[in-house]
Amino acid sequence: MKPGVLVFGLALSALAVRVSAHHSWTAEYDAKKPVTVKGVVSKVEWTNPHTHFYVDVTDAAGKVTTWNFEMASTPALERGGWSRKTLPVGTPVIVEGFAGRSVAERAIVTSFKGADGKEFFVPKLGN
Amino acid sequence: MKKILVAAIAVIGLTAPFLSQPRAQELPRRLGGENGPRRATEAKRAAPKLADGTVDLSGIWTGGGDAPIPRLLGKEKLDALMLPWAKQKMASLKEADDPYFYCMPGGPLRITGGFAWRLVQHPSEHAKYIFMLQEGNAHSFRQIFMDGRKHPDDPSPTWFGHSIGRWEGNTLVVDTVGLNDRFWLDSAGTPHTEQLHLIERYTRTDYNTLQRVVTIDDPGTFTKPFEVTYTAKLGEPNSEIIEYFCIENNQWGDRSNTDATAPSIPIAK
Repeated sequence: MKPGVLVFGLALSALAVRVSAHHSWTAEYDAKKPVTVKGVVSKVEWTNPHTHFYVDVTDAAGKVTTWNFEMASTPALERGGWSRKTLPVGTPVIVEGFAGRSVAERAIVTSFKGADGKEFFVPKLGN
Repeated sequence: MKKILVAAIAVIGLTAPFLSQPRAQELPRRLGGENGPRRATEAKRAAPKLADGTVDLSGIWTGGGDAPIPRLLGKEKLDALMLPWAKQKMASLKEADDPYFYCMPGGPLRITGGFAWRLVQHPSEHAKYIFMLQEGNAHSFRQIFMDGRKHPDDPSPTWFGHSIGRWEGNTLVVDTVGLNDRFWLDSAGTPHTEQLHLIERYTRTDYNTLQRVVTIDDPGTFTKPFEVTYTAKLGEPNSEIIEYFCIENNQWGDRSNTDATAPSIPIAK
């Protein structure tokens, strides 16, 4: 198992994620491939229809893999109390989500935590 | 008395967590919630009226056009209404092909609850126009002429069509023709043609609620007109529409690039 990337068994509770308004996320992401990634925020795209948080994960050999985690829109995040500065570049994070169907590293977020375990509000994906 | 007290405490205990405003720093993970503006929580009271006697429909609203038609009507009932070509077409559609995912306008029917929209009566009394300013999905607007004009004889088909409105008592009636057939009528891909004619009836049934009853008439697709009902909810008093340009960074439809950091520019179908 790669350090920093733990693929867990089926997370039943996470299957309750609702179909979103912009996208049906199950078309893009695989609910059978939950992922947990520990890394550092390397880029924030505070954009629409969705925001993207890029997280660099370094394995034991020093190889860096960049994950592209998709989140909800800027209006949804702002209404949830976020700003573009909530998780700035360089922040260590633990992200849970589902792997992309085509490319695993194009993933969706279901949980965002700081290195101290503090959770951040994750709106449903889609708008 | 004791029972009532226990029940009251239980209700307060269950409700209290939902009353506080969410803040990213303190909230735990929440999935499946609404992303639109928080709903107004004022006590139930009558819809406000303007000095000209019409109902004041202005404000920030959320929802009012989410549910797909098969869910509202029942699939069997919709199937019975559709002409054979429409049934065939609907069965052949893939969800991923919805033009909405490529940031194209969703047409007049689709108003998703995850976004805010603002209704503006202009001027506020004896309005000549009503505007519906939509945050999502194409960050667009609907323009409803309230000055008594008629539809043009042969309007060029557009995404939101030509809309004229009038008051019937406390109900705003909006009549729309001149729609193109490039958008999906709903998220289920219920087909339509350029013959589509929508009659929307907006009634503010109480302060926080806007009922929207829509007659869908399209002889090119359905054997007869039918009705669907949606409900929009008022946003909190301080809520606003927020900028949202879907085309800005849409990565839908290009998931195969093995470089997860590569940008993508999807092409509308």
